Amino acid sequence: MSASKLKSAMIVGILALLVGCGSSEKDRPIGAVVAISVPLGLPPVPIPADNVPTAETIALGRKLFYDVRLSNDNTQSCASCHDSKLGFSDGRRLSIGVHGLAGVRNAPTLLNAAYLPLQFWDGRAASLEMQTALPIQDHREMDVSPARLLFRLNTDATYRAMCEKAFGSRLLDMVEVEKSISAFERTLLSGDSPFDRFYFGGDKSALTAAQIRGLLIFQDPGRGNCAVCHSIRKNDALFTDGKFHNLGIGVGDDESLTDNGRFGQTGTASDTGTFLTPTLRNVALTAPYMHDGSEKTLEAVMDYYAGHGNSNPYLDPEMTKIHLSAQDKSDLVEFMKGLTGAMPQQAGPPTKE
Amino acid sequence: MKKTFPLLSILLIMAGCSHSSAPGGASASSVAVPNYFHVDAATAGTISGSVHFSGQRPAKKTIEMSNDPACVNANQGAVYDDSMIIDDHNGLADAFVYVKSGLEGKTFAPAAAPVTIDQHGCWFHPRVIGVQVGQELDVVNSDPVTHNIHPMAQVNHEWNHSQGPGDPPMKRRFTKQEIMIPVKCNIHNWMHAHIGVVDHPYFAVSASDGSFTIPNLPPGTYTLEVWHDHLPTQEQQVTVPAHGNAKINFNFKAK
Ligand code: HEC
Ligand code: HEC
Repeated sequence: MSASKLKSAMIVGILALLVGCGSSEKDRPIGAVVAISVPLGLPPVPIPADNVPTAETIALGRKLFYDVRLSNDNTQSCASCHDSKLGFSDGRRLSIGVHGLAGVRNAPTLLNAAYLPLQFWDGRAASLEMQTALPIQDHREMDVSPARLLFRLNTDATYRAMCEKAFGSRLLDMVEVEKSISAFERTLLSGDSPFDRFYFGGDKSALTAAQIRGLLIFQDPGRGNCAVCHSIRKNDALFTDGKFHNLGIGVGDDESLTDNGRFGQTGTASDTGTFLTPTLRNVALTAPYMHDGSEKTLEAVMDYYAGHGNSNPYLDPEMTKIHLSAQDKSDLVEFMKGLTGAMPQQAGPPTKE
Repeated sequence: MKKTFPLLSILLIMAGCSHSSAPGGASASSVAVPNYFHVDAATAGTISGSVHFSGQRPAKKTIEMSNDPACVNANQGAVYDDSMIIDDHNGLADAFVYVKSGLEGKTFAPAAAPVTIDQHGCWFHPRVIGVQVGQELDVVNSDPVTHNIHPMAQVNHEWNHSQGPGDPPMKRRFTKQEIMIPVKCNIHNWMHAHIGVVDHPYFAVSASDGSFTIPNLPPGTYTLEVWHDHLPTQEQQVTVPAHGNAKINFNFKAK
């Protein structure tokens, strides 16, 4: 590409950035809407009216998701911290971003994140679309400015062609980047686990005896009391209530919290130290656990619950209702292993086309 | 206090401060250094004595640990309840002896050295422990399992905290006298301890032969109280002469 072409691409890129902040007609997918097939045990995926999934936006999003050019020093893609081989999380206590900087929270799985009413442990993004720009610009994660990113992408003919097909526009803007990554994320569904086949599919042999005991303990308000927060509904189960709770993770000797969680967003005292209930689907794949990755194993998480958590002024009262024997704890762990679902198809790195 | 603590912590959070004072503690700005009583070493005396139990001894109770195999492994063979330990000469261990009255009007600096309670072999060690108001209590877990320490305080702030294997010691303090605070582990129901919080340094826990010593007392007349997990408390008066040793024995009889 010649210097002048490059410059004009950059200008258009910057202009696109400037105008591309809100969602407009031109950022709408133009392709045919594809139906996202939902595996057993999950409800229909919520789809925003201005970002209906198309084969083209999903393909574009998938390419972006695995592209290290989304980070300052070309080292990190979304998949660096949301690895398909690790249940779309990173196996680390705290994520490590560009420049080797450690983040402050544990990377959650992206499987079934499409169902969350709010994104992030503290719910600071209202939708996947709004979430996407944050890691890209976060200094500890990918640390690349929108202008720089769009310049990088729009100087690549493949992206320009994909953008043309997906949105009918010549150059990608940030809204299109966000929309296509989100469209891809809406395909990252995982259900049809042994639990789903047992509970929703009527296959009584899908769970072991220990897992069935675990399920009963999970739902019993006087034993596990887990389902009050990790919800199971009549026809589907997300294993999260989409709400925020204080479990006492990160309580110090003076009962202050290392991370105030949701309080940082709302400023409401009762939100202090509360975090979004994570899904438990595929939880066996996503150690370590909790928003700070402080629990190494599912067994350790069960011990933590058996102890009723760490006291602090905002501890959720549901915590003290839990009563678990050693057998109960091991049955619950077995049950949670039965929540590992089928992995979404065509979710790995795109092959060279 | 239960009401003011959340408020205090919110204020601290809003001020962007990550370390608040101990739960229920006074805020840093308002405390003047108290006028601590200075004990004159030339005249200080000692109370020593013993605690005995005579008569029919309670039957040994076995403890069922099978709930946690790691705890079974940590103990060899049958495990018995250790809340009433009496030696061959009737010495009663784990009795908490403290000066109940006679020190009114005197304020003592909290001891600088922390006391430690260890969770080891799925027991609390020691089982009965004394700590001064404001003195640091270090809680250690040297077991390969997660424990949970839950001091069920009524006068002080009640708290509960999980401690995994290898977790660093917790450092806690109590702000008010309270005799005794029962402690349990929410995970292992046989684990019990008692913490005596005293607003001066004159307390002791009887050793395995029932003996105890309370040193460095200003001369004077004191009421001593002895507490034991399974027995009604007893009191006795004792006069400590200048630079002298006062002897006192407590005797519990089986009903
Ligand atoms: C450096 C590691 C890192 C990178 C790179 C990264 N993320 Fe994340 N991601 C995290 C962490 C850590 C969190 C949790 C942060 C929080 O809640 O405060 C998170 C949270 C999320 C969530 C919210 C999920 C939930 O359950 O709340 C989504 C969605 C997400 N990331 C998508 C992406 C996308 C898309 C990209 C690429 C544009 C990306 N992430 C890049 C580490 C990373
Ligand atoms: C009061 C609501 C509530 C109850 C009851 C509850 N959970 Fe949770 N669970 C949460 C929240 C909130 C988190 C995240 C807490 C944090 O990181 O601070 C969590 C985290 C977890 C995690 C770690 C998941 C991850 O990806 O890091 C597991 C596993 C888990 N819970 C299982 C259970 C089980 C099993 C029970 C029942 C014994 C249970 N939960 C009861 C709300 C609850």
